[in-house]
Amino acid sequence: MRYTIKHVTRFVYDAAISESVMEARMQPRSDGLQRCLHFSLSTSPGSRVLMYQDHDGNSVHHFNIPGRHSRLTLTTDALVECSEPPELPYRLGPQGWSQLDALAASGEWFELLAPSAFTQPSELLTAFASELGLTRGNDPLVLLRRLTSEMYKRFEYAPRSTRVDSPIDDALRSRRGVCQDFAHVFIALARSVGIPTRYVSGYLFHEGGDRSTDGATHAWAEALLPEVGWVGFDPTNNLLAGDRHVRVAIGRDYADVPPTRGVYKGSTAVKSELAVAVQVGPAQSLFGSDPVPFTPWKSRDAAGQLVDGDLGSQDQVQDQQQQ
Amino acid sequence: MLLARVADSLYWVSRYLERAEHHARVLDVALDFGLGQPSDGGHRVLDRLHGVLGGQPGAEEDYEGALFDADDRNSVVACVVAARENARQVREEISSDMWEQVNALFLRVRQMQGESSRGARTHFVSKAVIDGIHLFHGITDSTMGRGEGWQYLQLGRFLERATITAALIDSFLTDPSDGAHGRAALDQSELSALLRACSALEAYCRHYTADIRAERVAEFLLLNHDFPRSIRFAARCVEGSLLSIGQHSGRKPGGRAERLAGRLHASLEYGQVDEILNDNPHAYLVGIERQCAQIHAAVSQTYLTYAIDAALSA
Amino acid sequence: MNGLAQAAAAQTAGATRPIGVPPGLFGQYELGRPFDEMFQPDGTVRPHCRPLLEELLAASLPQLRQTQVDADRAFLTQGITFTVYGDEQGTERIFPFDLLPRMITGREWDTLSRGLTQRLTAINLFLKDVYHEGRILSEGIVPRELVYSCRHYRREMRGVHVHRDIYVSVAGMDLVRLEDGRWVVLEDNLRVPSGVSYMLANREVTKRVFPGLFSRYNVRPISHYGQALLATLQTLAPPTSSDPTFVVLTPGVGNSAYFEHAFLAREMGVPLVEGRDLLVHDNVVYMRTTSGLRRVDVIYRRVDDDFLDPLAFRRDSYLGVAGLLNAYRAGNVSLANAIGTGVADDKALYAYIPEIIRFYLSEEPILPNVDTYLLSRPDDRRYVLEHLEELVVKAVGEAGGYGMLIGPHSTADERAHFRHLILADPRNFIAQPTLAFSRAGCFVGDGIEPRHVDLRPYVLFGEKVSIVPGGLSRVALRKGSLVVNSSQGGGSKDTWVLLD
Repeated sequence: MRYTIKHVTRFVYDAAISESVMEARMQPRSDGLQRCLHFSLSTSPGSRVLMYQDHDGNSVHHFNIPGRHSRLTLTTDALVECSEPPELPYRLGPQGWSQLDALAASGEWFELLAPSAFTQPSELLTAFASELGLTRGNDPLVLLRRLTSEMYKRFEYAPRSTRVDSPIDDALRSRRGVCQDFAHVFIALARSVGIPTRYVSGYLFHEGGDRSTDGATHAWAEALLPEVGWVGFDPTNNLLAGDRHVRVAIGRDYADVPPTRGVYKGSTAVKSELAVAVQVGPAQSLFGSDPVPFTPWKSRDAAGQLVDGDLGSQDQVQDQQQQ
Repeated sequence: MLLARVADSLYWVSRYLERAEHHARVLDVALDFGLGQPSDGGHRVLDRLHGVLGGQPGAEEDYEGALFDADDRNSVVACVVAARENARQVREEISSDMWEQVNALFLRVRQMQGESSRGARTHFVSKAVIDGIHLFHGITDSTMGRGEGWQYLQLGRFLERATITAALIDSFLTDPSDGAHGRAALDQSELSALLRACSALEAYCRHYTADIRAERVAEFLLLNHDFPRSIRFAARCVEGSLLSIGQHSGRKPGGRAERLAGRLHASLEYGQVDEILNDNPHAYLVGIERQCAQIHAAVSQTYLTYAIDAALSA
Repeated sequence: MNGLAQAAAAQTAGATRPIGVPPGLFGQYELGRPFDEMFQPDGTVRPHCRPLLEELLAASLPQLRQTQVDADRAFLTQGITFTVYGDEQGTERIFPFDLLPRMITGREWDTLSRGLTQRLTAINLFLKDVYHEGRILSEGIVPRELVYSCRHYRREMRGVHVHRDIYVSVAGMDLVRLEDGRWVVLEDNLRVPSGVSYMLANREVTKRVFPGLFSRYNVRPISHYGQALLATLQTLAPPTSSDPTFVVLTPGVGNSAYFEHAFLAREMGVPLVEGRDLLVHDNVVYMRTTSGLRRVDVIYRRVDDDFLDPLAFRRDSYLGVAGLLNAYRAGNVSLANAIGTGVADDKALYAYIPEIIRFYLSEEPILPNVDTYLLSRPDDRRYVLEHLEELVVKAVGEAGGYGMLIGPHSTADERAHFRHLILADPRNFIAQPTLAFSRAGCFVGDGIEPRHVDLRPYVLFGEKVSIVPGGLSRVALRKGSLVVNSSQGGGSKDTWVLLD
């Protein structure tokens, strides 16, 4: 299946800022069952967009805009080919857990087993695990299948209920959240039973019945399982990741792969608004010049310390949440 | 090669010291006029000096505030603290002797602040501050190379001097009660207070004899060629420093800051005191202050806080 | 190798007081188990210390006191001070200085020098390896988990090419001498080691207050440190720049080592910049000067990794430069030291340095380690928890003598506290035997007494390894104390490396 993706991100500041420096993790990956056939990123105001591959193999584009501006728009266009993953067995063999322990003992997957910034263990997490009866009693694959469907049942999908930097406890307490929170809870629980699990940032080609917001980025989790390899679980939509899931970046959690991350200089009083529009369609679809509807996002309150001195101004951060 | 931040700090070191010295001297003169039973002229002097200090006329306690109030950005202590903070940022740029003198002045002022004695204290504090600042300038003259950094020290010092001297003269020459800012009639005590506040009484007498007249005082403080506290002298120094700064920076000659400073200097160089006084002295003096502010802004925009994108395409 | 056992075996029934020295100044000078830098176990003076002893014997107590006053004043007037944190008065204090130089013979120094060179060479190879193919990890010599769980490990540096593979350009390795006279390495300090300005200042002051003594010795010079550091930075200059620009990056006047940053900038003749003086445009670093933007090629940074780049590391840092890591990754600017070197001076990883030397160089370590228990290992942990009273426990990521328990000097409450901390996070702690490290004579006001002393030489890795012959000898000026850190009652003395 081929998809074209158009992703427009717009920052609007209520006063002019300068020296924007930004990184974007928006280029779909070319690995596994997916190939990125075309990708372009442009900015307005214009800039020289540079690129590097990070340690997880994600393509990171970055640029800076030195002059004063009160609006910044990033536009990406991508053409991606995704194949249907092979049929997955219902369960792994009887050696499932011991093979996982061997994987862990190699140390190779340490970073995907240890808690990361957004997947810290907490009392609420432990309580949720025991509520589900999440123990190693079951086969690992069966356990993750069950975790996916239970999370789908027990959590309400509620856009704008959490913020970009919300800890998982917020979602666990209210049983509401966006796909970013779903993925983090899933990862924290999978790691707690010893399954290497990573965060995936990407897009979903929506069909009827999908719960997550169309017109936004998406996030889910991938677990490393013996013999079958990496398997994607999408607890937001109660799905195994398939050829509708377009993988953009992988990391330990959201903190490793925000679609945009930036800082700029501006007075402390400057507030920014962030809006994102995503269209995922079949390859033959051509997005017209019709304005894409923008989804508003809750951005982080950029409170911080003032730089003193006559030349100083404030560094501000700008991230976008994944829904 | 000079970092913009370092140049900025050097500029402010001497600006704040100049301001501290000026305020200390004004306080000292005000204190003197407040003693005993001042004449009508004496009262007007006090009003004017207090106006310059930004406070209300009052008792000795108010002088404490003008000296030591850390919350008042213009108090003598606040200026000394600010000068020292700026000097601390550029310790690798100035000589150790200069740093030690600023630091010693700071410690001295702090110490006097802690002492409880009252009375003649204001005078001695003022004297100590003025002496300490003179010493700093002497050390600077004899230990610092005449490079770009030195020019920023000069620039800050003389731009501040031109600004505050213009404000001081304005507060005496124009009658604040006259809505049209007409010329005030000044008696002898007021004129000599003005000269003393500019540390100019002796120099004036040497130049004109002790016959103190308003026109001559104005001429001396505005247009004298040799007296280092005249505005003309300060404007000449500002222009000289800016020419040198322009050369150091490698930019094209004739930038905005240089043009503004050259214009100010030329207007003083060829000024006539009777024209100034007969026309509108208040507007004239306010004009000088405004030109100084424009020079400050132009220096900042050209050399210190210039836009990155413009600098990249240059 | 068990250093403590060996040291104990070497202990002999020696003299308890110096022999052939009239009491006077030396009335309170006791010889004990620790190695004495001035006297031999039999109480006679070490031959290379004889001129020093003669000079001291010829002096009177009032003279020495006056000399101390002169020396202290010299530090104060030169402004060789550190800022006291939390003091709004802006008080700046001097680092306590002991008058008597500490001597190291030329032969000993040459061994130390070879050992330090070997160690830093291996460490640089190790850093290259862990951030690239990770051979030492896949071969199981160093546990992968230990590296990945290190607080100073920077995954952002994986696969990043570091110019000439020089990760650590400047190291300040801490050494101590055990009872049997052997030197061991205590810590490697591979991030932003400080104190070199005191090494240089101590020499200047000592020369001034003991001119006669100085000329009786053939002391190797150290005053070229600034040039040596600049030469080290020059090897890092990106090949693209024909006339590279160097800067020292400081966190600013609020930092306790600000004096040193300004001092080194002046010694090298390069600008001292703060983060707000720099910016990155299209992967190139510039500084803002009065004559416009000027490209920066090499940054000797005295800012920790965490604060270097708010885009990559701590978002709340305003000491750094947004985009610096990307410019670095692109090879357009060099940093000394590289980002992520802290993984090699983690105190738990320290235990593996001898293995690291063997692995990369196929040599035996010239300078041994102190025996180290890793509390993440169950057996070590059991042993340590049973012997807390005898051991020194250190938090792995801390420096400056913080987060440390010295068993023999601890209270039951402190031990209970540490037991709790260890059990909560074993990976965060190591333990070592309490070392009776060597003592050197110090002037303590009423006379001369021995105090524990360590040595921090500064090792520069450029075209080749260069070590300015000397270092900072830090002394625990409180009687009986083993803590030499300035924050905890330590002082320093000049270090004389003799020609032979």
